[in-house]
Amino acid sequence: MGRWAKQIEMQCKIPAIGIASSNIVHYATGYNFKYNNGMPIRYVSVPFPFTGQPRAVDVGYVAGKDMLTGQPLMTAVINALTSPLTAEEKVSGTPPEEAVEPRFLPADSEENLRRMFDDKEWTDFNSIILPTEKRVIEMLKGTSHKPDKVVTTVNITGGARQLTVEKVAINAVMAGATPEHLPVILALATQAPFGNSTSSMANMVVISGPIRNRLKFNCGTNAMGPYNKSNAVVGRAFTLMSKTAGDLRNNVNAWETLGNTMQYNNMCYGENEEALPEGWDPLHVQMGFKPTDNVLTVGTGWSSIASVGASQSIYPTHFLMRDYMSSFCASGSAATIVMDPTVAGLLKDTHGFSTKAQLSEWFSQNVQKTAASYWGNGVIQSTAVPLALQGLEPYASWRKLPDDALIKPFTNSRAIHVVVAGGKVQTMWFVTDFGIRRGVLIDDWM
Amino acid sequence: MDRRKMLALLGISPALVADSPAYARTAPKAVPQDSSAGGNGLITVMNPAIPGKLADRVPLVPPLNGLQDKLIYMINLSWEGPDAANYFYGAMTEWLDKHYSGIKTVVKVTAEGMFGGDPAILKEMIANKADAAIVGVAG
Repeated sequence: MGRWAKQIEMQCKIPAIGIASSNIVHYATGYNFKYNNGMPIRYVSVPFPFTGQPRAVDVGYVAGKDMLTGQPLMTAVINALTSPLTAEEKVSGTPPEEAVEPRFLPADSEENLRRMFDDKEWTDFNSIILPTEKRVIEMLKGTSHKPDKVVTTVNITGGARQLTVEKVAINAVMAGATPEHLPVILALATQAPFGNSTSSMANMVVISGPIRNRLKFNCGTNAMGPYNKSNAVVGRAFTLMSKTAGDLRNNVNAWETLGNTMQYNNMCYGENEEALPEGWDPLHVQMGFKPTDNVLTVGTGWSSIASVGASQSIYPTHFLMRDYMSSFCASGSAATIVMDPTVAGLLKDTHGFSTKAQLSEWFSQNVQKTAASYWGNGVIQSTAVPLALQGLEPYASWRKLPDDALIKPFTNSRAIHVVVAGGKVQTMWFVTDFGIRRGVLIDDWM
Repeated sequence: MDRRKMLALLGISPALVADSPAYARTAPKAVPQDSSAGGNGLITVMNPAIPGKLADRVPLVPPLNGLQDKLIYMINLSWEGPDAANYFYGAMTEWLDKHYSGIKTVVKVTAEGMFGGDPAILKEMIANKADAAIVGVAG
């Protein structure tokens, strides 16, 4: 919102004010102003929640009070548009650099350092390995890249922080990784930070290729459980580097209202490529990588629904998956289904899905939900309504449908991914709303 | 006699004969010397934090001297959909019409919601000589 107001002020040369609930104003005038926007936009604040209310409530807010000043809201609006500028509002130019972060922290006891790391929110509040120089130097032996190489610039909430190989190595030490993990974590760093949204996002990290076996990633029984070091430390490293490089701090610039427990490990696991049915390509091969490439893939979404599904041949697994997928918002047509090899085998041998792509296409053609349920989701309201208003199909037509009309929201079967993992212990699967990004070649970071 | 007392009199630690391996555990080996640890027991560690680049400051344009006869654009960012902001802006328009003669308001829903831009709206505002804008409503 601040970006919009700034654009108007700069291009139209007229005053522009923002109206938002107070938590958003707090972020906009604090962290966002300091690191991102730079223009001290004036705000007036309405109660939260603003959306989803009966019309009378939103209309009533106009006659109510500004949540920031306690004045009548319209008085606050008029003041924001007409009151003279303060000296602070006239400041221009490049501010003095923020204090440089020293490469080393002042020497202290282990106990005090641990407390400081927690106080700064550099951890996930589980114990970390303190990143002594010796440990970081040892970690850096895991890559041929120079410590000062910039892996990515993290700018999710402003600040344009440069995440270097050395900083990634520091986080890898903190997460408990070994030097052999570093190329994987560097590849993961290119995707940092993890999802950070008021809607409480989560991530998924899938490891593909021979490196799964070399580093003993768990692709079998308990692939997603706390039973394996590589899965644990790589997944955790994503959280730590997202927090440190993104400067993510609770109620400062991390505003996930519920948060997401998946952010502790980011669902890090390997695909059980050896157990794929014949004709079902590994995830990275589907993306065009060679089977011998080592690839890391990150997905972003919110949730997963699990079920056991092979007991009823009258209502087979893919029917249940279809039903559960209809609960998702289908933003970007994205879904990722993670299934045990036994389920994959059933789907291929009993139900005739000879490739993953065929199964994805079936979901695209068969998942349905009502128009009301589709448009009822806040993510869809924020992302698809603007497309509908521009007349883009199918959204424009869907918006005109009666509430109980059925639509097929997964319009792009290529955004529906299938990953096989698990230990053939149970016919178990998760359907998730994770959108998968293009994979990253781990080999580039050796 | 109590077994522990007896062993103690013999000068033997009860832990050596205890059933639980935890009691019988030998003293931990010394941790290999880390050059980061000083002789005073203090540790030096590397800093994971990265300095942020502060945004260039941009001043606000001068405010209006009043709302009489002004053209105000109300920009609806479609925060979780356009309906709530449209209701709100409608009520705001009524209030302004009642209190300021000659004021004009235009409500515009952005083409790309809250995430994108909308050059057409900016162009229209410039062409129509808009006097001020209200952007929202988020929450």
